[in-house]
Amino acid sequence: MNDNKRINVVLAGQGNTGKTSIFNYYTGSHQHTGNWAGKTIEKLEGTLYYKGYTIDVLDLPGIYSLTTLSVEELIAREYIIKHKPDVVINIVDSTNLERNLIFTLQLLELECPLIIALNMVDLARKKGVEIDTGKLQKKLNTPVVPTIASRGTGLTELMDKVIEIKENGHHPGVIRYGREIENAVDELSPGLNTAGLLYPDRWIAIKLLEKDSEITKSIRETRPDLTEKKKTLANRLEEIHGHDSSLVISDERSHYASQIVRETATITPHQKPSFSDRLDIITTHKFTGYFVMIFIVGGMFLSVFKLGNWLSSVLETVFTSWHEWWNINVGESFLAALSWSAIEGVLALVEIALPYILPFYILLYVLEEWGYIARISFLMDNLMHKIGIHGKGCISFIIGLGCNVPGCLSCRIMESKRERFLTAVLVTLVPCSAVSVIVFGLVGKYVGIIWAMGLYLFAMIVIFAAGKILSKLLPGEPVELIMPMPDYKTPRLKTILYQTWDALKEFIYIAAPIVIIAGVVIQAINLIGWMPAISSFLSPLTVNWLGLPAITGILLIFGILRKELILVMLAAYLGTTEFAEVLSPVQMITLAVVSMFYVPCIATVSVLWKEYGWKRALAVTVIEILFAILLAGLVYRLLTLFGM
Amino acid sequence: MNIPGKSRSLTELQEGQSGIVQSLNGGRNLTKRLADLGMGPGTRIRVLRTSLFAGPVQVEVSGSKLVLGRGLASKILVETI
Repeated sequence: MNDNKRINVVLAGQGNTGKTSIFNYYTGSHQHTGNWAGKTIEKLEGTLYYKGYTIDVLDLPGIYSLTTLSVEELIAREYIIKHKPDVVINIVDSTNLERNLIFTLQLLELECPLIIALNMVDLARKKGVEIDTGKLQKKLNTPVVPTIASRGTGLTELMDKVIEIKENGHHPGVIRYGREIENAVDELSPGLNTAGLLYPDRWIAIKLLEKDSEITKSIRETRPDLTEKKKTLANRLEEIHGHDSSLVISDERSHYASQIVRETATITPHQKPSFSDRLDIITTHKFTGYFVMIFIVGGMFLSVFKLGNWLSSVLETVFTSWHEWWNINVGESFLAALSWSAIEGVLALVEIALPYILPFYILLYVLEEWGYIARISFLMDNLMHKIGIHGKGCISFIIGLGCNVPGCLSCRIMESKRERFLTAVLVTLVPCSAVSVIVFGLVGKYVGIIWAMGLYLFAMIVIFAAGKILSKLLPGEPVELIMPMPDYKTPRLKTILYQTWDALKEFIYIAAPIVIIAGVVIQAINLIGWMPAISSFLSPLTVNWLGLPAITGILLIFGILRKELILVMLAAYLGTTEFAEVLSPVQMITLAVVSMFYVPCIATVSVLWKEYGWKRALAVTVIEILFAILLAGLVYRLLTLFGM
Repeated sequence: MNIPGKSRSLTELQEGQSGIVQSLNGGRNLTKRLADLGMGPGTRIRVLRTSLFAGPVQVEVSGSKLVLGRGLASKILVETI
């Protein structure tokens, strides 16, 4: 293809700026996701065809600065400097102009061709903030396009601007900071990029004064002669300002940003508090906030489970009739049965994805778009800290209650590797909807709902204890919560559907192959007739230690695929769903405890594998199996001891 | 007691109280992160929400609302106004 007709565009911005909406608007159906080389951070790319151009759009991770404090930040700046995109679109949240401009200034320092998308201007206006785009443009010496991404407003103009820059070229404006800093930068910068770095001289000088660890290291190696000079200049700045030179630079940017806001925006404070503020009086209150949270999250679960159970039983009936049709028309030969188990794997995914995960995701993204998820993080931060993670981890737990697979995937929102892994392990202990089917279908129905609730409480205690222990064992410091609190806003259906679809797609990609393969393998073992041998081999464990019928050995193996299969298979083997005829209440509780903890299902294991490597995935699996068996055996003995 | 002009940790402020950041007491990464978010020395910061059992605080700084973990907030020294 003619290179002149191809444009590389990068979207950069902080979280919650509407970056993803803009990306989706432009690339819609032409998206592909991958990972950044060697990192488990998602890389989103897409293509847009516009005015004869093929425009490749890359969505950089949402970040707050361009320092080396996090992997995402490093990725972002390296990408911009190494790949030299034709245009960088900086998405700025107009309702948080000042904080966003600090990041804009850092992008300008990189001297890349920049356009600013001044997003959510409608919400800013509602807040009483009117921004003079002409002035802002002049002040930053950079094109500014006001947009409302959720409605698509301004996005055509934004792309026109991109093409204009591609055709006419663009000279990014250089930002001049205070005199002391500029003097230091001028003294330091000449010829710096001879050190083999691709960054502009001026940028390297600023980063040196900012004590950026990566840049300092490479300059120390390539230009050792500069170490002294850099130190003297940094010291001089520190003497003048009275604090660390890295802070002097950050402060300079924030002051500059605040000065720009003063000059370009008029803020008319509202006489009475906004709707969002009034809602927050209740939703983040130290007492009422928790009631509201329990009501919202509890309501969400009850409705998903009610709907899910109904839909799932409908699907079950349909799929059973398909199975009968298969047996009659295709036969029950070894091959036919094996092929059916592959089909069954697909159906099983449908049966979990459609009734539970889909509605669950939709509600979750409604809460996210509305702004409520941030409130949950705020309310739960304290409790989460006790188990070594911060408030955002709570979101993964909530998702995990629906299904552990997306729960583990969502741990990517945690900042450090340690936090991600810790949260993911704890999520595997969260009883997912499949486990709930067992807990309620077995214990709740035949032993009593109090016992079922008791098991949930028990799971919470186990998670808490596991978190305490793990956070002590894993090396590294816990990360503190820093999270922007978004204003409440009306959720947009389109955005919600997009996000739901993305999440569902990922679930299917990861879970489908492994569930199908494992299903076929287990069915093959079953058909060869090894199952009785396996169950008698496992009987010391199942019968002697856990006090369960020998048949449960087979059930627990099938449960690796999908935990609710334990119940389904039990019914199939018994020929009845009257479980009380074969299992005593103690046995039911024991079986439920094993099912809760004994192994993250195979799909969850595959996520752990993908995100944290096979060693850690294997370790988690083995430890959880041993733990569940030990625990359930103890529960069995205790309950028997107390005469149940 | 809230004596104006006295320096204290951000966590000691009541809901609705404001202060000027005097210093950030923490590792370089931490202070840098706060400064990059516009919370460097000299910034005006207002506590919007505190939480139960010494939990996080929600603050307003340069027109944005941020939630800060307790440990972090305790490292921000402010002069009350």
